[in-house]
Amino acid sequence: MLDIQKYLRLEMFPHMLCPGCGHGIVLGALLRAIHSLKLSQDEVVVVSGIGCSSRLSGYVDFDTLHTTHGRPLAFATGIKMARPELTVIVITGDGDGLSIGGNHLIHAARRNVGLTCLLLNNEIYGMTGGQAAPTTPLGKISTTGPTGPFETPFDSCRLVEAAGASFVARGITYEPATLEKLIVAAIQNPGFSFLEIISDCPEFFGRFNRMGNPADQILAQKQNVVDAKTAATLPPERLKGKMLTGILHHEPRPEYAASYQESIAQMGAQAR
Amino acid sequence: MESPATQNVLIVGVGGQGVLLASDILGTVCLGRGYQVKKSEVHGMAKRGGVVYSHVRYGTQVLSPTIEPGTSDVLLAFEPAEALRWSKYVKPTGTVIVNTQKRIPPAACQDRRPDALTRYPRGIEQALRSQIEDVRRFDAETLAFELGDLRMCNTVLLGALSRVCEFSAEEWLAAIEKSVKPRTAELNRRAFLAGRSVEFPCAEEPQAEELVFEKREAARDEAPFIEIRQNWCKGCEICVRVCPQNCLVMNGSKLAEVAKAETCIRCMLCEWLCPDLAVSVH
Repeated sequence: MLDIQKYLRLEMFPHMLCPGCGHGIVLGALLRAIHSLKLSQDEVVVVSGIGCSSRLSGYVDFDTLHTTHGRPLAFATGIKMARPELTVIVITGDGDGLSIGGNHLIHAARRNVGLTCLLLNNEIYGMTGGQAAPTTPLGKISTTGPTGPFETPFDSCRLVEAAGASFVARGITYEPATLEKLIVAAIQNPGFSFLEIISDCPEFFGRFNRMGNPADQILAQKQNVVDAKTAATLPPERLKGKMLTGILHHEPRPEYAASYQESIAQMGAQAR
Repeated sequence: MESPATQNVLIVGVGGQGVLLASDILGTVCLGRGYQVKKSEVHGMAKRGGVVYSHVRYGTQVLSPTIEPGTSDVLLAFEPAEALRWSKYVKPTGTVIVNTQKRIPPAACQDRRPDALTRYPRGIEQALRSQIEDVRRFDAETLAFELGDLRMCNTVLLGALSRVCEFSAEEWLAAIEKSVKPRTAELNRRAFLAGRSVEFPCAEEPQAEELVFEKREAARDEAPFIEIRQNWCKGCEICVRVCPQNCLVMNGSKLAEVAKAETCIRCMLCEWLCPDLAVSVH
């Protein structure tokens, strides 16, 4: 039996996340995925921005970087360019990744940098007190939208796919075993891998929207999603208002850091 | 008056194994000799692996269609536990032919832990040997499977039965051809001959079954151990709600606590879904 404690900075525990916060489940799945890939702790770099999700980098015993708001992908790109052999994992949230760092996200996807980006989507800004995020669904209550936002939320997977990521998937915290497999597949993809993980915020999103206790909220997750493979066989009316999970797009293409090294080698040969 | 030379054959198995077709074929063989044949069977339990049996009695004059306990000459059992169930019908000098592949009924495996012991009877072979002189065990299902179709198991067993009955192989093969679908006739013929050529006692390790039980018993002693780090737990209740076996409860201070680890099936849901990484299942 795997003891994930060896990957943790035990002095930081118990962590600061609220009771029932889905981010902790993602942390467990990420550690099990890294363990199953047999990566050493020195080969993995975890980079994060600002927000609840971004706190996770502080709890893991890898090389970690807790960066400025919205910029983890920029820092991570730098790491990957300098040390292409490292496995660079970016943990970001829906606010951090899609609004403050939205431009970094689409350009990292466009370049196909060899990063694994886990976007933990809890549909709200949790750390600052429950403001509406770019992913808050229509009609869902937040502190800045007491009657619910009237802006259409981002479908981050379609956004990143359109921007050119070579691997796009979506998981939910209620399915930790599937989530672990998706993380493994994302890390194994050489190019930019984007994995959106639907997480829960019982403290703000759940409380404002009367979703019951954390257990009620996580058990309800399953109602809003359909597996992408199953969805292909269902009529469109059955998919209304549902999110697709599983691997949504996988099309390998040249990775940025590797292409860069190749180009250097070519230019060096020409100069000689 | 019933002829004293009337032969009794009891064919037993579980639903779907082909007990009734086998008894029909035996009946056809007997009719071919000009014997009177009477059959009595219970079916309808066929779905879900229920008990199916068929009494076959043949001779120059047969009055009753059922076999009295302790009077059957042959017991042809498609399943070991069924052999044990019906063994009291067999004469001490009779013959039992048993397929060694088990069908464990759902009621015998309600313990859902991976290494759980089933309540399937043990020591079947010894019990049979203590009651009946001639016990012939062999793995008819594997033989049938190797021939190309698991469903040929009943024909393989008929082949073994043919060694203790008075009829010739030709009579059997003619009856089989008459009873089965034409496209399976050739396969059935080969299955019958394969079953007929099995020599007893055939090479097998009677100890293997007991060894498996011993291994499982040892595994059972290592009951799962659920560890909850109380100082990490924040009382979100997720583990308590997702546990399919209700192993966990919320205690007075609103933290998760192990109530009964012994029913744990190691599904790992509590460990994987704990947002505080506070639960470990060892």
